[in-house]
Order: sequence, then C-alpha cells, then structure tokens
Amino acid sequence: MGVGREERVGGAEDSSRPTPGAPRPAYERRWEARRDGGEGGGQSAGDEARDSYYGLPAIHRPQWNWLIVLYFFLGGIAGASYAIAGIARLFDDAESRRIARAGRYLALATLIPSPVLLILDLGRPERFHHMLRVVKIRSPLSVGTWVLTLFGGVCALTALGQAAEDGLLGRDTALARLGRAVPERGLNLLGLAPAFALSGYTGTLLAATAVPLWTKRALLMGPLFLASSMSNATAAIALILALTPGSGEAGRRRLERLETVATVAELALLLAVRGGLGETIARPLVTGRLGRVYRLGVLGIGLGAPLALRAGSIVRSRAPSRAATTLTSALILTGGLLFRYAILYAGRASADDPQATFALARADERRRT
Amino acid sequence: MRHSGATRSGSNLVLTGPTGARPGAVGFLTDTTLCIGCKACEVACKAWNGLPADDFGLTGFSYDNTKDLGAATWRHVAFIERFDGGDGRRPTDLQPFQSDWLMLSDVCKHCVEAGCLQACPTGAIVRTEFDTVVIQQDVCNGCGYCLPACPFGVPALSATDHKAHKCTLCYDRLKDGLEPACAKSCPTDSIQFGLVGELLARARGRVETLQGRGVAGAYIYGDRTVGGGGGIEGLNAFFILTAPPEVYNLPARPELPQRKTMPSYLTTIGTAVALGVAAFFSLRERGGA
Repeated sequence: MGVGREERVGGAEDSSRPTPGAPRPAYERRWEARRDGGEGGGQSAGDEARDSYYGLPAIHRPQWNWLIVLYFFLGGIAGASYAIAGIARLFDDAESRRIARAGRYLALATLIPSPVLLILDLGRPERFHHMLRVVKIRSPLSVGTWVLTLFGGVCALTALGQAAEDGLLGRDTALARLGRAVPERGLNLLGLAPAFALSGYTGTLLAATAVPLWTKRALLMGPLFLASSMSNATAAIALILALTPGSGEAGRRRLERLETVATVAELALLLAVRGGLGETIARPLVTGRLGRVYRLGVLGIGLGAPLALRAGSIVRSRAPSRAATTLTSALILTGGLLFRYAILYAGRASADDPQATFALARADERRRT
Repeated sequence: MRHSGATRSGSNLVLTGPTGARPGAVGFLTDTTLCIGCKACEVACKAWNGLPADDFGLTGFSYDNTKDLGAATWRHVAFIERFDGGDGRRPTDLQPFQSDWLMLSDVCKHCVEAGCLQACPTGAIVRTEFDTVVIQQDVCNGCGYCLPACPFGVPALSATDHKAHKCTLCYDRLKDGLEPACAKSCPTDSIQFGLVGELLARARGRVETLQGRGVAGAYIYGDRTVGGGGGIEGLNAFFILTAPPEVYNLPARPELPQRKTMPSYLTTIGTAVALGVAAFFSLRERGGA
C-alpha cells in the first residue's frame, strides 16, 4: 500500500489543482490517480479499499493558491514592519528614526496589494464586502478581515504623518496639514495591536481547520507565522537601509540583533511544528518537490544560511557590512516566501491524504484517553 | 483497526445526552445495513434541487462513479467491496448479514456545532429554524474557508458559479411540510427523516436488533461517542455502520476545528508580547556601541 500512496501524495502537488476558471473533468483526475497509484504498486481496488476508501481524500482540500501565498508574505511583512517601526520610534536618535521611517513606508507598500490579492482569490470578488457584514471571533478569517481593515486605516494615517514629517507632501498643502495633525505617538502605540495581529493571525487561520498538517500543532502555528513575519520584516527594513545612502552601521547592528532573535525563534517553532506532526501527516514536507523546497529553501536558504552568516560575523566580532546585510536579507526574504508556499501546498497535499486525516483523528483519540 | 463503537454492545449505550441537538431538530438516520446501492437518493437529490450532472466516467472503484460529495452532489453512495486477508480473494464464509459489500449514502451531517458555519466570514452559512445548516447563496462570496473547516469534507466550491454548495436538507421541502427528496425516494428506508431524538431512539433499537441477529459490529456513527465528539456535539444526520468509520471514509474521532481558535489566539498574543519585548531591547541604543 505504502509505495502507491506515497507516489500519489508526492504527485498531488505536481499535478497542480485546476483553477476554478479551468476545471479538468473529475473523471480524468480519477484516472490519473488510479494510473499513478497503480504504477509499480500493482494494487487492485480491493487493496486500496482495505484501510481507506480507495485512497480518496476524506476531507476537501482548501482551494487557496499562490495569491494567498503572496498575501501571507506581504501581509506578514506589513504588520511586522509597522510594529518594528513603532517600537523603534520609542527611541529618539537618528538611526531609530531612520528605521521607523523605512518600516512605515514598507508597511504601507506591502499593505496596499494585500486586500487586492485576497479579493482576487474569492470565488465571487464583487461580493468581497460581504465579509464586512458580520464579526465572528471564532472565525480567524473574519477576525483577519477586520484586523486588515483596521490596520489599513492606522497604517495609512501613520504613513501620511511620516510623509508630512519628511516633507514629501509639500509645505502647505491640505495633505501636509492633515499629516501634521496625525497624533503620531498615540497612533504609534495603538497601531501595535493590529500590526502584530495581522502578522500572526494567518497561522491561526490555518490552525482552525481540519487540514491535518495545519491543525496538528495548532497552538504553534500563530507564533510560527508571527516569528517568520518578524524576521522577514526586519530583513526587508535592513535591506532598504543597506541600499539607501546615509544610514549608519549602528542601525544595521540593531536590526541584526532583532533579526537573529526572530530567525532563531522561527527555526525553533518550525522544528517544533515539524517534529510534532508524526510520520504520516508530515509526508508532504518530506517527499517530492515540496520536501525539497522545505529542506533546501525554508531550512537551508531561509534559516540555516542566514544564521550561519550571522554566527560567522559574531565569531569575527565584525560589524555587518552593507553587502553582508544585503545578502542575509535576501536569503531570509526568499526563505520567508518559500516557507509560506511550502506550508500552504503541503497542507493541500495532506488534506488529500486520507491516512493523514485518519492519523489526526487517531492521535486525538490517544490524547483524550 | 479497533475502535470503541464497533465493539460496544447495545445495552452499554449511553442513553443520557448522546447528542446536543435541540428538541425540535430534524435530521437523517442513514441505516447502511438497509442500503442496496440503487442511488435513487443521488438521482432524487439532483432532480429536486436542479443540480447539474457530474462528469461521466468510470472510476473502477466498484459501482461508485460519483466518488465524493461535491458542489452538485449532495448525496453520494459509497460502495465498499471487502476482501478477506491479503490475497485479494473473496472469503468463503460470510457474516450472517448481507454480504461483505458495504454501501453507505453519504450526506452533509448538519453538525450541532458546525465547523463550516463557525468558519464562514460572511455569515452566509446559517442554522435554520429546523436546526439544519444551510449556505445562503445570495450571501456566499466563495472565499472557500468552509472547505477545510469541515471535518467531513462536505462543502465544495462550484466550478460554475464559484460559490460554496452543500446539502440543504431540502429546506424548501421542509417549509412545505415535505420530507427531503432523498428520504422520500429511498426504496428500503435506509434513509429515514424525522426528529433527531426520535431517530436516535429508533437507531438504538435497530442496533440492538442487528446485534441480536449476529451483526456484532453494528453501531451509531454521529452521537457524542463516535463521529460527533470533539466539540461537534452530535450529528443531526447520522448513520448506522457495521465497520470502522475509516472504511466508509469517515474520520473516527473528528474534532470541531474552531475549538483551536481561542487557544491559538492566546499563544499568538503571548508570542507577540515576547517578540515586542525582544524588538525593544534589540533596537535600543546600547551604551558604548
């Protein structure tokens, strides 16, 4: 049984799910499943039926695709970079102001595409505003909608205030007057809550489902996405400062400290999630293309390499150069995007595997007795 | 594959509060021991609800060419041909019951605490006055969050209108005092419609009868013990099964996904505080730096 099913699970990500716009006839997929499962395995329908229903999925997989991967990435950076800017703004030196300025503009720039991506992902985009007719605390998607709406206002106002301060809006225009009227300090602290919420709720969104790979370690998913968003946002701000003239070494060193903390936290949480999944549920992260993306992209490029570079600079006790910061930031950002890709598509693959669904239920049974 | 339901004897059934359903709730009892696999329920459902045909094709999975519940398939008859041992040959000594061919007409479970309903961010999924769970088609915007939120894989997005669809327990027929189309058409009364309380009592009697006749593995799937636990509080559409739930592609111990929402909010908030403090001390200007 094992060989055939592993092939099918591995193949699930390769035969990409048809988009709602261009569905393939269901019977073709059935034939592919039979053919792919049969190759080398030589199983009969009876073999398949023995411990599951012909190996067919027991739950429906989520239909989310790259739009949501990109949203998880950008939305996470938006929230976390706003939070970093807000915390940096508590200090009043030139480097902190520079970090805060970069963080605020970055938050706005990554926030703007977020609702667009989410609306495009809807089956009926013209009905997006139906999300705004209810508030449901138990639904992370509803909470996320409201967090995004609230954060959008806060983020735009803060960016306006920053732009007025930087003189980007002219000296005596209406916008500049409005920007100067923004109660900067209060907004700064008030905005921290929706900012952190935006960068972390995506993990709880995945956790509160029946998808085995997402829900098995439900309590760690929010923290994992939050830590990853923090490391991504820090890397992005450091990248901006490294590429713009005028920023000093002190700012880079502070950001690297935060980057290291966030990256270590992300690595620890990721390994804790992965370690708790169990063999059957973790299978999509081990086999096939997704397994390679997880090992090389997420663990290698995104976490291992930046931490190794950082360790190297600590050993030589040298301050990070512009080039080193640029490289580390690029690695972390690539890893952050690949992490969201791997988690989302591995979740889809685990939803397709009935053994993963049953393993989740059996594990629950053990826990409760 | 052992599980408590199959080994439970009729007299040991928990009689107090097997379901959280309200007194007036209606639902289905689908007794798989009576199913003959005629698929009249599938056809009646499609005819009454005006659902389009599935793709025509042969799966090779026994007589099941429907495969799964879907946006346009709200009843699905599963066919399980059971072979004994590992050699793939049919057994020569069968149970004193039917054959080793199991059939089950699967349907939306209309959970007492429904994952799809709690997940729906638009309020399109509602609980009706009959205690059934219905997706309002004029509200649904096709976000698709109800798909992974259902522990049984029931709601599905339509490739035609891109909205989520599932069984309505024939809401329009209930309004007119009629029983749902599938129950009406079932020639063996494998699908029975009625008040959940009455159906449960009937199901318990039926399980006792079956066990008396030697079908030791008969049990109810969909009370708080089996199939309706984990915060789901019972299924208004429940089943009498004679094999472990996995054989029918049903999870043995499903859990309400939203049970994990609040705890995971709390861990996320805790992490936010920790990372915020870490950011404060990392970004602070250090003396002598």
